[in-house]
Amino acid sequence: MTVVTDPARPVAVPEASGTAPPRRKRGTFGFNSLSPTEKVVRYLLLVFVLLITIGPFLWQLSTSLKGSGEDIYTRIPRLLPSQPTLSHYGEVADTIPVWDYMRNSLQVAVLVVGGNIIGSSLAGFALSRLEFRFRRIVLGLFLATLVLPGEVTIISQYVTVRELGLANTLFGVALPGMIGALNVLLMYNAFRSLPVEVDQAAVVDGANVWQRFIHIGLPSVRGTLSVVAIFAFIGAWDDFLWPLIVLTDPDKYTLTVGLQYLSGTFSNDPRLIAAGTMIAFIPIVIVFATLQRFFFKGVEEGAVKG
Amino acid sequence: MRYHRWFTPWVLVIPALTWLLVFNLWPSINTVILSFTNAKPIGGGTFVGLKNFEALLHDEQLRWALLNSVIYMVVCLPFLTILPLLLAVLVEKKLPGITFFRTAFYTPVVASAVVVALIWQWILDDRGLVNGLAEKLGVISGPLPFLSDQWLLLFSAISLTIWKGLGYYMIIYLAALGNVGRELHEAAAVDGASAYRRFVHITIPGVRGTMILISILISVSALRVFSELFILSGGKGGPGGRDNSVVMLIQQYSQGFEGNLGYASALSIVLFFVTVVPMLLLARMNRKAADA
Amino acid sequence: MRSRRLTGVAALAVAALTLAGCGLGSSDDTSSGSKPTVDANAQVTGEVSFQTWALKPKFTTYVEGVIKAFEAKYPGTKVTWLDQPGDGYDKKVLSQASAGQLPDVVNLPPDFALPLAKQSMLLDVGAADPKIAEEYVEGGVQAYQYQGQTGTFGYPWYLNTDIDYWNATKFAAVGLDAKNPPKTFDELLAAAKVMHDKSGGKEYMMSRLPGIGDLTNAGVKVLSDDGKTFTFNTPEAEALLDKYAAAYKAGYLPRDILTQQYLGNSKLFTQNKVAWTTGGGNALGDFVKDNPSLKGKVVPSPALDTPPLYVQGLSVSAKTKNQAAAIALARFVTNAENQAAFAKIVNIFPSTKASATDPYFSKSDGTPESDAKVLAFESLAKAKVLQPPVISGATNDFINQQISLAISGKVTSKQALDAAVAKANQLLAS
Repeated sequence: MTVVTDPARPVAVPEASGTAPPRRKRGTFGFNSLSPTEKVVRYLLLVFVLLITIGPFLWQLSTSLKGSGEDIYTRIPRLLPSQPTLSHYGEVADTIPVWDYMRNSLQVAVLVVGGNIIGSSLAGFALSRLEFRFRRIVLGLFLATLVLPGEVTIISQYVTVRELGLANTLFGVALPGMIGALNVLLMYNAFRSLPVEVDQAAVVDGANVWQRFIHIGLPSVRGTLSVVAIFAFIGAWDDFLWPLIVLTDPDKYTLTVGLQYLSGTFSNDPRLIAAGTMIAFIPIVIVFATLQRFFFKGVEEGAVKG
Repeated sequence: MRYHRWFTPWVLVIPALTWLLVFNLWPSINTVILSFTNAKPIGGGTFVGLKNFEALLHDEQLRWALLNSVIYMVVCLPFLTILPLLLAVLVEKKLPGITFFRTAFYTPVVASAVVVALIWQWILDDRGLVNGLAEKLGVISGPLPFLSDQWLLLFSAISLTIWKGLGYYMIIYLAALGNVGRELHEAAAVDGASAYRRFVHITIPGVRGTMILISILISVSALRVFSELFILSGGKGGPGGRDNSVVMLIQQYSQGFEGNLGYASALSIVLFFVTVVPMLLLARMNRKAADA
Repeated sequence: MRSRRLTGVAALAVAALTLAGCGLGSSDDTSSGSKPTVDANAQVTGEVSFQTWALKPKFTTYVEGVIKAFEAKYPGTKVTWLDQPGDGYDKKVLSQASAGQLPDVVNLPPDFALPLAKQSMLLDVGAADPKIAEEYVEGGVQAYQYQGQTGTFGYPWYLNTDIDYWNATKFAAVGLDAKNPPKTFDELLAAAKVMHDKSGGKEYMMSRLPGIGDLTNAGVKVLSDDGKTFTFNTPEAEALLDKYAAAYKAGYLPRDILTQQYLGNSKLFTQNKVAWTTGGGNALGDFVKDNPSLKGKVVPSPALDTPPLYVQGLSVSAKTKNQAAAIALARFVTNAENQAAFAKIVNIFPSTKASATDPYFSKSDGTPESDAKVLAFESLAKAKVLQPPVISGATNDFINQQISLAISGKVTSKQALDAAVAKANQLLAS
């Protein structure tokens, strides 16, 4: 098999240049209109899933708002604080330099997100749209990485980073995660769903590989690209053990490591820790809420075309 | 039919390949070497031949762990392949407030392990939500030992995995759904196809590649399950360590200063061969699907 | 197609294997030895690094004050202070050790210090400073001396122990008197039965699985004298596990404790679910902070048998470039004056003999917190290290798993103990 094709997939050709900024138009596609019954059913289902999934978040939020005179571990969890207070948030900011830590985390996250977007889309594009020797072996290597034994490798990772002279740097923290095999596979899979005829047409028009990548490939995989960005961001943002091992200088700590200072040896206030966790959570929500719009490439382009 | 110079693909692939070799493959080779030694985290070790692998044969806990991992995979696979897709279809449609729902559904993925443990203990312990409700309804006469019985604990952990996986795989599906042409749906709707028929005949074929990739991810991560079992078994793998997964065993053996890295590495290699099997099967299906 | 891919991978792996001379990254011998090369009276000057564990930010002022005093006392010294977060400290120290970058003076509990001492990564401070045995309490010093190793591998810093805490409300509800709580394990079992029977099975007294410390307390010899074999599969140990198993079967303990974490019982106590827990001298404050409704309801009493001794200490890296200053700093931080000052801002106890007479520790001001502190301080005199430091990691996990299995009734106590001893010996030998 030379070229991966899948006739089951529709030919959804985007406007060739991709330069026209796709703008969301509300309700332009008639298919979107729902009957009132369907709307009600959908909302019922949404609320049902919401009840199942929102628990930990709510508990954390309510704990962070509970006053010092309130029980935290009641037998039946009480969600509404009886003495609500925002003081724990202030206390977190007084205890640790939240903004500095956040800036460090952000630096790491930007490096990891950038690395993954660039590295995995380039590799994914080459693996799915270009034919070359050993292509399948390279692809197999990426797939194999998913099952490689990674459990006992953290120390040898550290040795590598240290030998590169990157111990105790934020770049050293970001480095190993900057291109993930899973992300390469996700991008490979996304590029594959683009019909090969589009490429061939572009080749006939004299487009080179780079032009095809920029103008045809990338615009059609924005959804997966944003998934990759979300995964990379959250992975970098939430990692604890790795930055702890790489960093020595407390000024360079990332937020998850720095938040540990809220639970010291002789002191442990779950309300404070919950407030810290909530603060760490906000950027994730922002990133997710911003990027999830891009999942819906098909919808938007339909709108543009229509 | 090549429309590019021979090195162009390599230029694109080399960065990712470099990372793969340096940060994945190289440490794994290190693991292979370690598995033939009695290395400790500090001070190195000496070559001991196949001793670690012989010990594996007599490790009763490993047998439980392998059984648990396989059960885990068999149960998780259908649920996590289908439910997140349904969820993705549900939140795909733009409705007022949908961003909020999408984000909320994703929160379990990023919730801290401590809080997740706390909440699930409230739900599942002897006087927890589930037992309380079931007793009130008269379904059961005494509380079910969700957290202390070997098998119930395993299934509790599986439900926790499915719960966490919903949001994770949902967004992968969402991105894939974006690639399914709206025109087909519209045409089918005009033709009077029911929602169910559109789902089976348009949505599923449209995301088949993604579905197979997701199945690979699910089986790999089910076989490598760690945090859910760790949380619910209090980090100890249950009575007699019969609720361990292979990764939990690896973690137990490699932890601390006196960790037995040689044995932990041998366990890693067993795990590698166990996970490779379903992956190859699914990858083969993928190729068939693509060739079809 | 597939087979070709696999052979490709295999070929690559083989090629790399032959190249992988440095597969065992950390095998370079630290043959520098652990014996000090300078005596403690040498000129103290220059730079020295100092690593603590989870003291920031609560005790920043204290630690900085001590460092300033040190630098004033020894002009020309410069201390770099590093404080590591509470979680992941073992992995952090491990990565420092395998990179050969241990700080000059480092806070290590005895079970962390043992493997480092075995690898000659720590200095024998006893040889550098013969006065150590005179000035620090015996239990503290002994915690840093190991079977099979000659030397003392740390200055004891601060000590703690466990006492019992009882929930007076729950006691009163079933007609028990919290002012006169159980004093032995058998009395505890009897009280647990009362708690169960009188409350209709709704309330629990005990919520803790036995561990190695409980076996030691029951008179079981855990480790042979040469430190080479485990010996805790004795009839006494069996009898103890049998008692727990019977109590578990009768419903005196919550069923879910089979899978509870190490701190499970104090968490359940805080949640008002059980009437008994053990905890340090400062635990009372935490119970009330997390659950203010417990205020005034918690009664402390001495631990049931021999109280456990918990020791923290400061070790000196064998690779330090500035031995004189490092030893002086470890000594200075742990001296009687600085420890007493530390103990007054947090509930720990000094490891120096000079502090034993300090009335601050031996006289209560009448508050329950202060009572608990005095109780703990008095217990300290009897306290012993109940769990040998060699039991850690996988060994500890495996033993606990077997104990839990015996309590659940799935195997007999003898089977569980035999399996635990066999595995622990195997791990010790490897």
